[in-house]
Amino acid sequence: MPSPPMASVTRQLSRRSVFEALLHRSPISRAHLAKVTGLSKQTTSEVIDAFERQGLVRPVGRTSGNVGRTAVLYELSPEGGHVLGIDLGARLTVALADIAGRVLAEADEPTDSRGGAWALDQIARLADRLARDNHTHPSRIRSIVLATPGVVNPRNGAIEMAPNISGLGHLNVVGLLSEKLGSPVAIENDINLALLGEIWHGCAQSVANVAFLALGTGVGLGLYVNGQLVRGENGAAGEIGYLPIGGDPLQAEAREQGCLEYQVGASGIVRRYRQAGGSDVDSVREVFERAQAGDPLAVSVVDETARLTGLAAATVVATVDPQLIVLGGSVGARAEFADKVARVLLRLAPRPVEIRTSTLGKRAGVVGALSVALNKLHDELFGVAELAAVVPLPPPRAS
Amino acid sequence: MTREIEHCFAADLGGTKLAAAMADADGRIVAELTEPTDRRGGAHVAEQLAASAVKLARTVGIEAKRVRHLMVGVPGAIDPLTGRVSLTPNIPGLQDFDLLGYLRGRFGPGVTIENDVNLAMLGEQALGCASRCRNAAFLALGTGVGLGLLIDGKLFRGARGSAGEIADLPIGHDPNSPALSVTGAFELEVGSLAIVDRYRRQGGAAAVTVRDVFRLEQEGDPVAAVVLDATARWVALAVATLQSLLDLELIVLGGSIGVRPELYERVRQTLPTLFSRPVSIAPSELGDRAGLIGAACAAAQALRAQERPTQFTASPLSSQTAAAASTEYPASE
Repeated sequence: MPSPPMASVTRQLSRRSVFEALLHRSPISRAHLAKVTGLSKQTTSEVIDAFERQGLVRPVGRTSGNVGRTAVLYELSPEGGHVLGIDLGARLTVALADIAGRVLAEADEPTDSRGGAWALDQIARLADRLARDNHTHPSRIRSIVLATPGVVNPRNGAIEMAPNISGLGHLNVVGLLSEKLGSPVAIENDINLALLGEIWHGCAQSVANVAFLALGTGVGLGLYVNGQLVRGENGAAGEIGYLPIGGDPLQAEAREQGCLEYQVGASGIVRRYRQAGGSDVDSVREVFERAQAGDPLAVSVVDETARLTGLAAATVVATVDPQLIVLGGSVGARAEFADKVARVLLRLAPRPVEIRTSTLGKRAGVVGALSVALNKLHDELFGVAELAAVVPLPPPRAS
Repeated sequence: MTREIEHCFAADLGGTKLAAAMADADGRIVAELTEPTDRRGGAHVAEQLAASAVKLARTVGIEAKRVRHLMVGVPGAIDPLTGRVSLTPNIPGLQDFDLLGYLRGRFGPGVTIENDVNLAMLGEQALGCASRCRNAAFLALGTGVGLGLLIDGKLFRGARGSAGEIADLPIGHDPNSPALSVTGAFELEVGSLAIVDRYRRQGGAAAVTVRDVFRLEQEGDPVAAVVLDATARWVALAVATLQSLLDLELIVLGGSIGVRPELYERVRQTLPTLFSRPVSIAPSELGDRAGLIGAACAAAQALRAQERPTQFTASPLSSQTAAAASTEYPASE
C-alpha cells in the first residue's frame, strides 16, 4: 500500500521507524515503541492505528508483571504480505515467508528435466501449492526473487551462461514468471543469493567482507564487500570457472569450459579419477566416498581438488582481502574437504583468513532469495527516497 | 578581506622517488617537485614529506599550516582502522613508523595515507583512460606489483586494507618455493628483478637493469624478446584472473614496466589465447604521474568532504533507524 501522495518525508520516516521496531522487537507495546523509536507517543499511536487499519499489525496480548495498567502488545501481521524465494538449479526449491521474515513453508523437488517453459510452470505450481497450504492466496505474494545459475545481466535481467538448465537462455524469465505469479520477480545469481543467505541466517552473520566459494556441478564465487554484492560490469563477477588455474589454459576444452571448472567441477573430478585409473564411478559423491574409505587414487584426486580450490581462494585473498571465505555447494560444503582447502590456503596466503563451511547447505540460495524479496517488499512499503539503505532483516523464524 | 585560495598537498612516495605537489580546491596541480626518496627510510622519509609540503606551500605563497588536506600515496597496505602501513619492502622502517600520526602532529587532522596504486586508479578515473568507468583496475608493474580497484565507482580496499596486494597471487612461481617467504609468487615472475634475472638465466648478455632488457629487445636481441614474451604471459594470466573474479570494464596497465608498449602489445595479443571471455585493457594514460594526479584529486575530494559534514542532518531518525542506514543485516538476537 503506497503512502499517501502528500506524505512528508518525516511521516515516511516515522512509519519506517515503527515498522523496523516491530520487525525486530515484536511483541511490543505502544509505549515501548515510542521509547525505542524516539518518536512521540502521539505519533507512535497514529502510525500504529494506520498500520492496524492497513492490516500490517495485530494485537497479540497484553503486558504483564508490571505495576499499573497493562498495555496491548503488537506484532506484524502475517496478512501484511508474503514473499517467495525460488532456487532453480538441478533441483527446484521454493520457500514462502511473511512480511516479518517468518519462513512459513518450503518445498523441494527435481527440476523438470525438459527445462525452459516447463520449469517455469513447475515454479508456478509449487508457489500456488505453498500459498494455499498456508491459507493464503497466491495474489498476496508481493515480492519474488529467483536464484539461478549463470550470469544475470544487470541491465535487462537476461540469463547467460546457465549450462545446467536447458532452454532458459532465450526466455524472458522475469517477464514470464511475473505474469504467471502476478507479482514482480527479481532474478539474481544463485551463488550471490547463497552468500546473502549465509549473511542473513548462516555462518557469515554480521561480516562485512565475505567471499562464498561454491563447488558443485560447477564452480563459482560470490563476493560481498563493504555490505554490497559485487556483480561486475556485466553481472559476471565471480565466474571463477574461468580462472587460469589447474592446467593449460591454452587447451581447447579447458579454455571453453573455463580452466578451473574443467578440473574441479563435478565432471572434472570424475574425469580425473577415471584418467588416474579409477573405474566404475559415475558421480563425484562416489569419488569422495572412496577417498573416505582410503582408496589412494580417490584420495589423490580429492587432494588435488583441494589444492586447486586453495589456489583459487588464494587469488581471492590477494585480490579482494575478505574477512571470511565460506565454502559451499555439494562438494565445497563437505567438512573433510574444507579442512584440506584451509591447509592449502594457510600455506599460500600471505595473510591468514578464516574459512567456514556453509551452514545452510542446499537451503542457502532460497534463504538468500527470501532475504532479498523481503528487502524489496519492505522498501516498497517503507522506502524513503532520501534514505537509500534497506530495512535490516530479523533472523528468520520457522513458524 | 579577500578569501584565500584553498590548497591541498598531494604526494606519491615511491621506493626511489618522491613526487609531491600543491593543488587547488579542484585538484589542479599548481606546483610540484620531485626528489630521490631518503634512503634511510622511516622517520627520515616522514620528515622529507613534511619538508616538501612546507617547500611547496612557500612556492604557492601560503603558510604551511594553511594547507587544508594532505594526501600521501605509499607503496603498501594501509590498515583501515589505524592508518598503519604494512607490506612496504621498498621503503625501510616505514612499517614501524606512525606516518599518519606524525603528519597529523605537524599539519593537523586533515591527512590521509592511501595506497599509491589506489591513487593511480583514481587519477586514471579522474583525468585518464578510465574516465567513465565504475568497475576498473589499475595493474601496476614495476619494481613491485600492485593493484588499485574501483568497484561500483568507489575505491575498494578490502577488509584489512590489503585488497590488491597481488604480489602474492599464486600465478607462476612454484607455490612451495622458499623464495616465496620473501616475495610473492606473481612478483617473482614479473617484478623488474625477475625480468632481469630471467634474461640472465636464458643466456642474455649482462644486462643490468630492466630498462636494458627493453632496449635490447628494440635492438633485435632474441633473448630479450623471449623474456618479454614470458613476462607478458604471466601478466596476461593475472589480467584473466582479475577479469574472472571481478568482471571489470577496463584493466589499466601502468607502472614503469606496465606502460611499455613492447609489453602492453604482447599482453594484448596473448590474452585471447588464454581467456575466452571478453576483457578490455589499456595502457595508463597518465604514466608515472597517475599516482600524483590521483592524490591531488583525492585530496581535493577530501577537502570538500571536510567542508560539508553531512547532507542528511535535520531528520527525526532515531538512533535505531540511523543504525539501520548502514546496509548490514543485524545479527540474530
